[in-house]
Amino acid sequence: MDTSQLRTILWLRWRLTRNQWRRSGQLNAVIMMLIAAAAFVIGAAGAIVGLLIGALLMKNTTPWALLGIWDAIVIAFLFFWMIGIISEIQRSETIDISKLLHLPVSLREIFFVNYIASHFTLCFIVFVPSMLGLALGLAISKSGLMLLMPFLVAGFIFMISAWTYCLRGWLVTLMANKRRRRAIIAGVTFTFILLSQLPNLLGNILHDHKRHGPGATQSAPSEQTETPNSGGQVVPRVIVEAHKYVPFLWVGNGARALAEGSVWPAILGSAGMFILGALGLSRAYRSTVRFYLGQTTRKRSTPRAKEAKVSRAQISFLEKQLPGIPDESAAMALAFFRSLMRAPEVKMMLGTNFMMLLFFGFMILMRRRAGISDDFRPFIATGAVVLTFFGLTRLMLNQFGHDREGFRALVLSPVLRKHILLGKNLALLPITVCLGAILLLLIKFVIGVTVAVTFAAFLQLIAAFLLLSMAGNLISTLVPYRVAPGSMKPTKIPAMTALLLFLSHMLFPVAMGPIFLPAIAGLLFAKAGLMSAGAVNLLFSIVMLATTAFFYRLSLPGLGNLLQRHEKRILEVVTREIE
Amino acid sequence: MNLAIETNGLTRCFGDLVAVDNLDLRVEAGKFYGFLGPNGAGKSTTIKMLTGLLGPTRGTMRILGEQIDRPEKAREVKRRIGVVPEEMALFDNLTAREYLIFIGRMYGLPLATVRERTDELLEMMTLADEHKKLTLEFSHGMNKKLTLAAALIPNPDLLFLDEPFEGVDAVSSSILRDTLKQCVQRGATVFLTSHVLEIVERLCTDVGIITKGKLVYQGTMDEIRQAGSLEERFLKAVGKDHVERQSLSWLEG
Repeated sequence: MDTSQLRTILWLRWRLTRNQWRRSGQLNAVIMMLIAAAAFVIGAAGAIVGLLIGALLMKNTTPWALLGIWDAIVIAFLFFWMIGIISEIQRSETIDISKLLHLPVSLREIFFVNYIASHFTLCFIVFVPSMLGLALGLAISKSGLMLLMPFLVAGFIFMISAWTYCLRGWLVTLMANKRRRRAIIAGVTFTFILLSQLPNLLGNILHDHKRHGPGATQSAPSEQTETPNSGGQVVPRVIVEAHKYVPFLWVGNGARALAEGSVWPAILGSAGMFILGALGLSRAYRSTVRFYLGQTTRKRSTPRAKEAKVSRAQISFLEKQLPGIPDESAAMALAFFRSLMRAPEVKMMLGTNFMMLLFFGFMILMRRRAGISDDFRPFIATGAVVLTFFGLTRLMLNQFGHDREGFRALVLSPVLRKHILLGKNLALLPITVCLGAILLLLIKFVIGVTVAVTFAAFLQLIAAFLLLSMAGNLISTLVPYRVAPGSMKPTKIPAMTALLLFLSHMLFPVAMGPIFLPAIAGLLFAKAGLMSAGAVNLLFSIVMLATTAFFYRLSLPGLGNLLQRHEKRILEVVTREIE
Repeated sequence: MNLAIETNGLTRCFGDLVAVDNLDLRVEAGKFYGFLGPNGAGKSTTIKMLTGLLGPTRGTMRILGEQIDRPEKAREVKRRIGVVPEEMALFDNLTAREYLIFIGRMYGLPLATVRERTDELLEMMTLADEHKKLTLEFSHGMNKKLTLAAALIPNPDLLFLDEPFEGVDAVSSSILRDTLKQCVQRGATVFLTSHVLEIVERLCTDVGIITKGKLVYQGTMDEIRQAGSLEERFLKAVGKDHVERQSLSWLEG
């Protein structure tokens, strides 16, 4: 490959990025350009500031404080790097090697150019100059030994970029299958969310453990778990050990050792990271070659009879008839439900919300259950009903956005539009009932609400579902937006639509206000000594459910007509490809 | 004359661009009508308007004798038509069989009929072995075949096919051609657009040519054959400027 080809490929990468920004609108393009320019400025300024801080302010910094500073920088870098990976996976517009292979360049050359081009990310541009600046500054202020720091930083950057490249290459080979692709995107995002919440979760658990655990009263450092450092401070042994064995902590460990006058941890750390990086890069290259030789996917041989059995079982689900429901609505409900349950992004969204509710909601409830008064318990049950819908509003308020091309089949169908709406609503009912029922049962057993209150809350759940379905039918028709395949992200939406959506999501808790009426009535009746709170709550819930069911039924024909009038515009919006 | 499709002054604008301009189309029932035109002539926009996927800016349409601007009439007509749109109408997360069952039920067909037709159509389109694949994993050709199967499942009186053979393999294409001929033989009307003149020449009884949104020719294949070939008629209708070739300087000499 000559320099002209190298320049052309780098130009191509820049044009792809620029066009991607432009396709999201002029304003977005300007913002992204400004961000890119700002990143370069911040990178350059970071190098200078890092140099000055290292040279002027860190002369007297202790070795362990130095370790902490470098650890913080490395962890911040890794955090932004992870965000970068996720957004790149979702957009996935890098230079596709297969699009260049017919040109007079070899696979190896394109591989290395692509690898070099992968360094041009915001995270690298902002962090690397600052890290190098700080490393040089330390060399000025501390000692000549600190000149080894840039090698540690370079080794770290090489190791991360090589393994990132390897990871991306592996994901690309996995994502060659479209179905698997969406599952991977969802899985990576889900893992990231869980990882980012992990410190919070661990913090809560440790806090709880310290308060209630057997060693709550012991505060003296243990000889076996903590070790004094050269400055007389106590450092847990696990931290010392972690810095020996976790590669990305070798930067901080090397800095500490250099400050203490020992060069070996820095030399070994640099060498180790360069070796690990080389291994990652070589693995990435091997998997690229395997991918282009078609040696990546191994088909599992499943017995044919078993496949046919599975298929038949799935078909019988779509052929089911729902009692009292028009056949077209039943077909719609079953097909849409199946479609949703197969979409990894939907499973991810529902799973994430559910996990969050379980983790944090119950952690709080477990801690404070003793202090909850009997009067307040029904409100917690109703609150759980409202929380059930937090993860569902994006589906309920945008019922056609996930159909994309499929919405065309609905426009072409000879079905009454009210039946389409009914089918769409019914598809979400099992999800709502399952999530809500699990939460209510947990509430019942964790804080001990009565059976009557639990049952009342279940009725409120159905009433809230009907209320939100009416709102969802209206908003989905008037403010539709397209959702990108494999994610819950809307594709470019007009400012007015974005505003209306923002308002509708913000007003969701207010719209859920009436759901609390039975609990309030129960409290008032009980305080007046007229009837027990649970019985009143249940009675009012029955009345509320009957009323919302009546209004839901009443609303369907009108909303169906509205859908009929707006369906061509909805079709235009949900099928427009802007990615 | 019993008309399956009749339009008067049908016009569709996209901003300043007039995609379809005062189209007066007459398609007799029971005919195999080929709708031809160069890229961007307005063929797909016309089909979209005729099938209710796009509203016209001006003009009126009658499909199977019914004015389709009223919702209830439009629904009645939709029950009697099958459509293969330019862009597919598939749900990503359903298998081919599930999609056909869904479409059959949406047309109000009895479940036994839906099952029977689904099986036959999947066999015919050679999709029966792909029962575990979701439509998002299908190739373009497979998606096209599935859309065709969905258009045929209600046994429609009128079929709108926008480039139905694009990406379809030779075997399926041959079977499909026979099926469409059968549809016409039993009295259905087929309205087809295609870039492949040979297909139109072989299948169609009537032809309309559209260019720059205007209908520039409408006649029977017999009339065309008497005056020459369909290609000559097409080139004449769309204008000589479409076929003028520019010479490449470095290929000369």
